[in-house]
Amino acid sequence: MCCSRKSEESDCGLLWRVLVLANKRRRRNSLPPSLAVRPCATLDVIRDVLGELTARDRYGEVLTAVHHIPARDAQYTPLPGWVNRRLARIYHAKGVEQLYTHQAQAVDKLHEGKNIVVVTPTASGKTLCYNLPVVNAILENADTRALYLFPTKALAQDQLAELHDLATRLDDCFGVFTYDGDTPADARKAIRERGHIVLTNPDMLHTGILPHHTKWMQLFENLRYIVLDELHTYRGVFGSHLTNVLRRLRRIAQFYGSNPIFICCSATIANPGELASRLIEDQVEVIDENGAPSAEKLFVFYNPPVVNRNLGIRRSYLNEATRVTKELLARNLQTILFANSRLHTEVMLTYLRQAFPAPPGRSEPIRGYRGGYLPGERREIERGLRDGKIRGVVSTNALEFGIDIGSLDATVLAGYPGSIASTWQRAGRAGRRSGTSCAVMVASSAPLDQFIIQHPEYFFGRSPEHAFVQPDNLEILVNHLKCAAFELPLSPNEHFGEIDLSAICERLAEAGFLHKSGGHWHWAQEAYPADTISLRSVTSDNFVIIDESGDATGDSSGPEVIGEVDFSSSLTTVHPKAIYIHQGQQYHVERLDFDERKAYVKRVNVDYFTDAIRYTQVRVLEIAAEEPAAGPSSRAHGDVLVRSQVIGFKKIKFFTNENVGAGKLELPENEMHTTAFWVTLNRGLVASLPYSLSDRQGGMFGLLHALESVATLLLMCDRRDLGATIGEHAPKPGVEEEWEQLPETATDPAETKEFFEPNLYLYDAYPGGIGFSEPLYRASGILLGRTRDLISACACEKGCPSCVGALGERQEHAKEAAVDILRRLVGQD
Amino acid sequence: MPLKLKDKFSSIKALRPAPRRSSLSSDNGELRSAENADSLATLLGATLQRNHYGEHFSIRRWFSEPCEFAPHPDVLRLIAPGASNGTVDPQRWLFLDTETTGLSGGSGTYAFLIGLAWWDAGGLEVEQFFMRDHSEEHSVLLALRERMAERPILVTYNGKSFDWPLLETRFRMTRAIEPLAPLAHLDLLHPARQLWRLRVGNARLAQLERHVLGWEREGDVLSDLIPQIYFDFLRTGSAEPLLPVLRHNQMDLRGLAAISRKIFSLLASPENENSDAFELYGASRIFSRRGERARARELLGHTLDAGLPEKLHRSARRQLARLAKRDRDYDLALSLWEELSREHRTGLAESIEAAIELAMHYEHRVRDPERAAEIIRAALGTLAGHSNRSNTDRTGARGFRNLRTRLEHRLNRLDRKSARSLTLQR
Repeated sequence: MCCSRKSEESDCGLLWRVLVLANKRRRRNSLPPSLAVRPCATLDVIRDVLGELTARDRYGEVLTAVHHIPARDAQYTPLPGWVNRRLARIYHAKGVEQLYTHQAQAVDKLHEGKNIVVVTPTASGKTLCYNLPVVNAILENADTRALYLFPTKALAQDQLAELHDLATRLDDCFGVFTYDGDTPADARKAIRERGHIVLTNPDMLHTGILPHHTKWMQLFENLRYIVLDELHTYRGVFGSHLTNVLRRLRRIAQFYGSNPIFICCSATIANPGELASRLIEDQVEVIDENGAPSAEKLFVFYNPPVVNRNLGIRRSYLNEATRVTKELLARNLQTILFANSRLHTEVMLTYLRQAFPAPPGRSEPIRGYRGGYLPGERREIERGLRDGKIRGVVSTNALEFGIDIGSLDATVLAGYPGSIASTWQRAGRAGRRSGTSCAVMVASSAPLDQFIIQHPEYFFGRSPEHAFVQPDNLEILVNHLKCAAFELPLSPNEHFGEIDLSAICERLAEAGFLHKSGGHWHWAQEAYPADTISLRSVTSDNFVIIDESGDATGDSSGPEVIGEVDFSSSLTTVHPKAIYIHQGQQYHVERLDFDERKAYVKRVNVDYFTDAIRYTQVRVLEIAAEEPAAGPSSRAHGDVLVRSQVIGFKKIKFFTNENVGAGKLELPENEMHTTAFWVTLNRGLVASLPYSLSDRQGGMFGLLHALESVATLLLMCDRRDLGATIGEHAPKPGVEEEWEQLPETATDPAETKEFFEPNLYLYDAYPGGIGFSEPLYRASGILLGRTRDLISACACEKGCPSCVGALGERQEHAKEAAVDILRRLVGQD
Repeated sequence: MPLKLKDKFSSIKALRPAPRRSSLSSDNGELRSAENADSLATLLGATLQRNHYGEHFSIRRWFSEPCEFAPHPDVLRLIAPGASNGTVDPQRWLFLDTETTGLSGGSGTYAFLIGLAWWDAGGLEVEQFFMRDHSEEHSVLLALRERMAERPILVTYNGKSFDWPLLETRFRMTRAIEPLAPLAHLDLLHPARQLWRLRVGNARLAQLERHVLGWEREGDVLSDLIPQIYFDFLRTGSAEPLLPVLRHNQMDLRGLAAISRKIFSLLASPENENSDAFELYGASRIFSRRGERARARELLGHTLDAGLPEKLHRSARRQLARLAKRDRDYDLALSLWEELSREHRTGLAESIEAAIELAMHYEHRVRDPERAAEIIRAALGTLAGHSNRSNTDRTGARGFRNLRTRLEHRLNRLDRKSARSLTLQR
């Protein structure tokens, strides 16, 4: 049952057309001049901004949707009778006299002892769904313990205030603590003993709590509830890791004789129940009928104007998003601008700072915010946003979640965040409680953005997004099995995912990790296994970025660590000669010390940024399933070996996005086993395409480009989680072929080689695969059909970045070729 | 199908062989590996012990050295404040030292050898519990619990942060055997560190044995190798490399007992024990930490008489000045600060600190802000001279800057104060 706010409104047909707003524009000039003292956002000011935007929209194709979400009344139910009197009184005193219907449903299910997942929008009172039953249980039995898990440290910090308030009102009869990497060593003992509610994150649970469970005896013996907030973030790699961490947690709880109930909260996705029960490996009740009220909001889709219709080139979405943000800031609307990468955060911050320089002697009114900034800096920015000193912030997804920055007036999204759930969460940062707010999504020319921006019904309708995990990915599972053995000896009767436990334990014993004794497998290594396993990425390595500018300038401050990047993105962001941007400042990467995981940079001031070029090859090792299809073609999924290397980079000029140079790089090659879904275009199909060789090749690459976009939409994953490449179909899997020489120059691979019977691969960009390939194989009909719709509905003539990607000059008919191929595969429509 | 599974395994990084420290001798093919329990027992000199939870090995040996002593109650109060009167009875002491499968702690680290020792017949009786594999852990822990019931006062070296928490974890992992909290726990690492680290450079037990007791350990095994020796024994049964591990543990226990004797006699009468200046200095710090300032000052006096290397000599005087200030013995404090503030060429940090102390004295107690400002100005001059002259490293430079800021801040305040009082006078 999906009954979210979003679907209702789109059914009501409250889509306004732009003309109405354009008319309002005339009144704009009569606005009072004292804009800077306007106390809060009103619908008029927002309409005024929209009018400003539409004025530039000569063809009426810029604002593709203006969705009005009216204020909505609450639906209440009385507080259940079983709630402790004292607690009920305190909620009364806090102004909660009744519960929203979904809250009442949630706490009642928990009272019955069921696991639940609550799926309601931002600011619908989800925290009460767990705080009430947990505190109630503590009041009934003072030994009760609960563990709250948040995907980030910051989110856990953010929950403290509310819980402390409850604790204070209850004469501090229970203790609430965060436990994370920042917790001082001398406070840890007290937390372990006196923390009724411990707020932490999966990483800390994995490295800091589970391996030391004997010190947490009080917690585990009395563990009644486990809260998993922001459940939808636990998908793909992170979710697969988390499932295994929870397997370990349940083993330990069982060891101490407890059997905790799970309380999950998720943003709206298509399969919250499935995801929750996959993660906790138990049955879950889904609660998704929202009873919370909401304030009025305008949600605007903004497609940058086309500047070259032939090439389908639109104005830069970064520039346009900056422009929209400027309009909002100029009307003194406190605004958050979301970017989809750290790089873009910094680029747009640079633009905005030029427009709104800090007044002399005052602090910057516009700030950047992203991972890689040091914690102190982040806290300061959060404070500045809450007290209004900071008027605008440019952020990555770091501010997407509930970190308390107060309610802002407006959200601008530079590019579609990659998932509908994220988009709603980001939009929710504006106007969380009352008043009118607005959200503007500015589409990039990426296919997914164009698809969403031109199909608003898809976005405002029922969520198509599925979250998948693959906890039995052997690489992940075996790593957690080691941790499990460290925590408690493994018994041969145990189950740990869908694997043959004894067979793997035998292997681990051979490899020197375990020792069998008394029928149990014991950890037999000095090293502490959790330390080397990161829940978020392939390796736990981070590259630190060291600013050496001080040496040259004679400033005696010396080399300084300015930030970090994770291993997987290091080769593309801090390769030698890259321009790395931090807080709007550009740095040139002088050298990359790969072994020491250090990148040495110097401050520079140049008019370009860099974009890395990666080269990839795939070899099929084993086919799990395969079927012939129309075309003629075939579809398959199975195990593959992927070899990739960053071989060069392009220099891209600011504002114009011109390519102003390139460079070659010699960086280590990366090899991984993973799983892939692929489509083979049979020789006959390729040969019968009535196009030149380069058009055919261009068509295939274009098709793949669009295919990848649609796949990320269905899988709710990041583009980084999937890899896409084309290779020649081998006669049978596992055949040892000579790897081809990597190309000498960094050119478009489409121009270098002819494919006779190509495989179009979409692979999981994680060793061992993360569970995408099989769903893609199963849904390949929908995948190809939507891809065909995307390309054929695109307004460009000969292909553009929004559909088949950027093309070379000799590939005039590539877009046609792509559509031709897709029609042969899945028909006309 | 099994073949396919195996192929899949071969690509899993998590299944690649564990990194292994070579334990020197274990590759030697000639080693005797014990065929059965009896031959292993003979090799290790052990007897098989049985209890409710199963069996394990026990190795016992009596040593005439070190010999028993009567701990002085005053010293006991000094190193274990709050310990009950019964603690002073050496017959209730249980020396403890474990050999473990790792140093990181956590529930997957095992104490495979638990060494205990107690005074007996004037000498030291050592008993070691050894588990031949993980399944013998329960019976080892039960045996430990029994010994602790007989002698409830633990004496360890770093046992408060390492051995005892680890054993508590082991007890909890059994879910059956409750750990017996020791009546008192004397961890000698801390007093030993105060007394000897300045001279010996570190406070590792083997180093103290050599430099303080004059003992020489022959053929001692590197403690880093011990976990791997045990893992090799588990996998291959290679038992001979365990012998040096047992010896190492025995030596640790004997060293611990001997060091305890040394600490007690030294602290009972530091001046009479042919103590060197380092030991006197260390003793004074132990007394001062327990709030026995008079005794600490007395010992510092002896320390300075005995003569210390320049740097320590300075920090001892600085310490003495601090104690004197607390005792309101300003004459002594002033003379020391003045001395220290003049020694800026060799001890810049101390000299600046002394100058600040002097300035505080003149400002708050003598109420002469001008004089205080003068002192700070002089200190700033000294500092400037140094930062120009010396080519210091970056942290040094940062330190300079911090010091300068502090001084300037103080000077500003003093100048304002003088100006204010001037205005008032007018």
